Amino acid sequence: MNFQSVIATLHQFWGDRGCLIVQPYDTEKGAGTKSPHTFLRAIGPEPWSVAYVEPCRRPGDGRYGENPNRVQHYYQYQVLIKPSPDNVLEVYLDSLRALGIRPEDHDIRFVEDNWEDAAVGAWGVGWEVWLDGMEVTQFTYFQQCGGIDCRPVSVELTYGLERLTMYLQGINSIFDIQWNASLTYGDVHFQGEVEGSVYNFEASDPEKLFLLFGLFEGEAQRLIQHELVLPAYDHVLKCSHVFNLLDARGVISVTERTRYIGRVRSLARSVAQLYLQQRESLGFPLLKGEREPVA
Amino acid sequence: MATFLLEVGTEELPASFVASAIAQWSARIPASLAEQHFAPAMVQVYGTPRRLAVVIEGLPERQADRQEDVKGPSVQAAFKDGVPTKAAEGFARSRGVSVKAFEQRQTDKGEFVFVTQTIPGRATVEVLQALVPEWIFGLEGKRFMRWGDGDHRFSRPIRWLVALWDDTLLPLTIENGAEVVRSDRHSMGHRVLSPGAIAIPSATEYVATLRRACIEVDPQQRREVIITQANAAAAKIGGVASINPTLLDEVVNLVEYPTAVVGTFDADFLAVPAEVLVMEMESHQRYFPVLKEANNPDLLPYFITIANGDPTKADIIAEGNGRVIRARLSDGRYFFDTDRKQSLDAYLPKLETVTFQEALGSVRAKAERIRAIALQIADQLSLSDEQRTHVQRAALLCKADLVTQMVGEFPELQGVMGETYARVSGEAEEVAIAIREHYLPKGAGDVLPHTRIGQVVGIADRLDTLVGIFSVGLIPSGSSDPFALRRAANAILNIAWDADLPLNLEHLLSQVVTDYGTGTIQDPAALHTQLQDFFLQRIRTLLQDDRHIDYDLVNAVLGEDDTDYAERALKDVLDVRDRALFLQSIRQNGQLTAIYETVNRSARLAKQGELDTATLDPSTVVKPDLFEQASEQQFFDALTQLVPQTQAAQANRDYQTLVSALANAAPVVERFFDGDDSVLVMADDAAVRRNRLNLLALLRNHARVLADFGVIVKSDAPANPN
Repeated sequence: MNFQSVIATLHQFWGDRGCLIVQPYDTEKGAGTKSPHTFLRAIGPEPWSVAYVEPCRRPGDGRYGENPNRVQHYYQYQVLIKPSPDNVLEVYLDSLRALGIRPEDHDIRFVEDNWEDAAVGAWGVGWEVWLDGMEVTQFTYFQQCGGIDCRPVSVELTYGLERLTMYLQGINSIFDIQWNASLTYGDVHFQGEVEGSVYNFEASDPEKLFLLFGLFEGEAQRLIQHELVLPAYDHVLKCSHVFNLLDARGVISVTERTRYIGRVRSLARSVAQLYLQQRESLGFPLLKGEREPVA
Repeated sequence: MATFLLEVGTEELPASFVASAIAQWSARIPASLAEQHFAPAMVQVYGTPRRLAVVIEGLPERQADRQEDVKGPSVQAAFKDGVPTKAAEGFARSRGVSVKAFEQRQTDKGEFVFVTQTIPGRATVEVLQALVPEWIFGLEGKRFMRWGDGDHRFSRPIRWLVALWDDTLLPLTIENGAEVVRSDRHSMGHRVLSPGAIAIPSATEYVATLRRACIEVDPQQRREVIITQANAAAAKIGGVASINPTLLDEVVNLVEYPTAVVGTFDADFLAVPAEVLVMEMESHQRYFPVLKEANNPDLLPYFITIANGDPTKADIIAEGNGRVIRARLSDGRYFFDTDRKQSLDAYLPKLETVTFQEALGSVRAKAERIRAIALQIADQLSLSDEQRTHVQRAALLCKADLVTQMVGEFPELQGVMGETYARVSGEAEEVAIAIREHYLPKGAGDVLPHTRIGQVVGIADRLDTLVGIFSVGLIPSGSSDPFALRRAANAILNIAWDADLPLNLEHLLSQVVTDYGTGTIQDPAALHTQLQDFFLQRIRTLLQDDRHIDYDLVNAVLGEDDTDYAERALKDVLDVRDRALFLQSIRQNGQLTAIYETVNRSARLAKQGELDTATLDPSTVVKPDLFEQASEQQFFDALTQLVPQTQAAQANRDYQTLVSALANAAPVVERFFDGDDSVLVMADDAAVRRNRLNLLALLRNHARVLADFGVIVKSDAPANPN
């Protein structure tokens, strides 16, 4: 099964099970969780089921295309369902079957792994799913997002698309993934990995990045004042990405690090609260009378 | 008698919670049943990643009826002139009896009325229905969660309940928002080997029924299967399974149906240090590594994973796991190769970018301070010039591996990589070993550094941390000790004690405080006192908890509000340990009893006198012409004889000689106190009184060379008060 068929299969699978299939969000981010389709929608009482591919950037993971398993740009397949249904693990195993992985033939394990993203005040409880010792999916029951208790609780599934495909194709390098019948992942992304790594570790200008962090932070604060939830959140994401770039350059000391994370977190909290207020003032439209507002 | 089964079905629980929940239920369920007047024949708790269960055998249909005495008002308040008062009638009404049912009984607070009532036993199933939710939601654990739209908190979502009273379903309900879990006789089989519901015919058939559904509910059984299979699998490939006990505890609770599967990796990877390979296998993949032979760290290029899947699919499982470990080991080899491209000391400049603590500068600066402290310790221990060179080098390099890629990726390899890279860089073997050893012990009960260089650098590193962190006011309090300073101080003492290093901590502390300088430290004297108190407290704790010295004997060597003893302890950390151990030994062999009465009584009485605590020789402070009884002269003579013995004991730390000498003097002192020619110490005449108090004070001073006998408790072996 090639890379694009894996994505198409998951879209079909989760679409059939009531998930809205949406497109990637157009701002750099470190994980699919940070897409507003997850980060904001997990807040508040409104039900929400969504699935999407999300490109992720982790500047510090760049290896100049030399490491077969580690890259600074990759894809996650993200599913978020609120409230968390009671059969979600069984449905997940069915999604593996849809991809041609019969759980009966393998050692599938749900190993404790609790997720926390201090920079956006979010944490949850869950597992990493092991397929014959390989982590292929991250499973999280969201407990808090932007410092707000998640009620009801959402469940998030994050598939590592490249790992899954490598497994399905029986190959050992991410760059050898067959994207479609004729082109590989390397054809699409190898040069980007090399250049991205050079930028992240050598060509980026820390002084400008520090400046940008301050500018984006200021914009986010200003937009929060204007109660513009999504524009403000876009700038929180930009802060977060610039911070990751600075971190990759190793120019942030351990104590400064905590302080920068604190600055991003405080913005994320404000946006989260603003979002909840906005949805409440709109009367939580997605409840559609099924349920009384909890907040 | 009936058997009750409760099974709580969940999504996959963390392994540590399974173990903890089994322990909690094993203690709490019997106690909870006892509170309800049940004494079951057996309570057996089981658990797997997907379930917690308890089987309780020998429960009666009902609680027995029981008599209960209810206390009412006092007789005085209940009856006025033989007529029941309102209080009496009120009490009778509240218990549903007439006042005729009252009995009068004497209590320690006077005479009261009582009624004896029969409380009918409730049906056991009813009691269980009330208890089960308490058992489930009374479990405690880290990081509990909510799920769905409910408010219940548990380790992972609860998905089903089995509750059987023999073969009858016991109705129970857990409501969590819109989801309702009702008890059933259906459990769930293994996710892939026996998917779906499985009916449990009766409570007694629980374990056997689930075994047929490929679930081994008994963790002890799973543990045995894992050990047996892992050993057999290793033997088959000519090796020995390396089963780390902590990992085994975890693996037992990661599977419901264990099967050992052997996988392999390229033998080229064996060029990477074994510690890296073992850590990748154990901490990241939960594999058991395979050794060439027992008690030899050399590895074979195999691993054993305990799978939860179908044993007939072992080949697929082994192949998948093999790919994962090969990818991980490639990463490890990449870091290893990259790191070795420069020598270890070339990493030093980069340490300047790593903050040790905000106010205390970089780790590079810390390394410099460690070097200075280590040299002072080297002076105290009179190390050779060669050793001093090694100490300096090891101190300088001991943190350099923190900025290597391998340690950046696997922080738990700090020190281990430093040792390896030091060797590759051509550092002396002593230096390489010391870099690893200076982190030892890593926790309570861990091994201590074996080499002198490792010991010295390890002590220096911790002293720097202690003084530095104290100086910025981050002093441990209660359970808050984020820099693990208690552990650091314990490590310093344990290293010194284990290697018999005659450290003068008192001197080191003042040196380090001075060297930190006034820039960092505002009140050096106050800081010094805080550090002294902190170390004394650690000495006290270690002597009591680890060396099992009675608390009063620890007080006797550390003194109570007696700065002499405190200073002496810090100036010579070996001597304080030896005196404590010696006191404990003479308490056990009875020698303490032989001198206790005379020395303790002298010490207590001597407090009323004025003699200093240092004088040993009676000739200048006792006047024989004031003696009224022969016993006083004898006491004087005995003290005179003691002087050279005590001085020798003091110089040689030969406390046995001192105690024997004190024992020899004991009859004379007894005679002074209680014999035919005893004297009254507190004589009316001030000069005579002082003379006698000085005799006693001198004896006390001799004994002080060993300990403060005034705080030793009389009994042969007092229990610790806490």
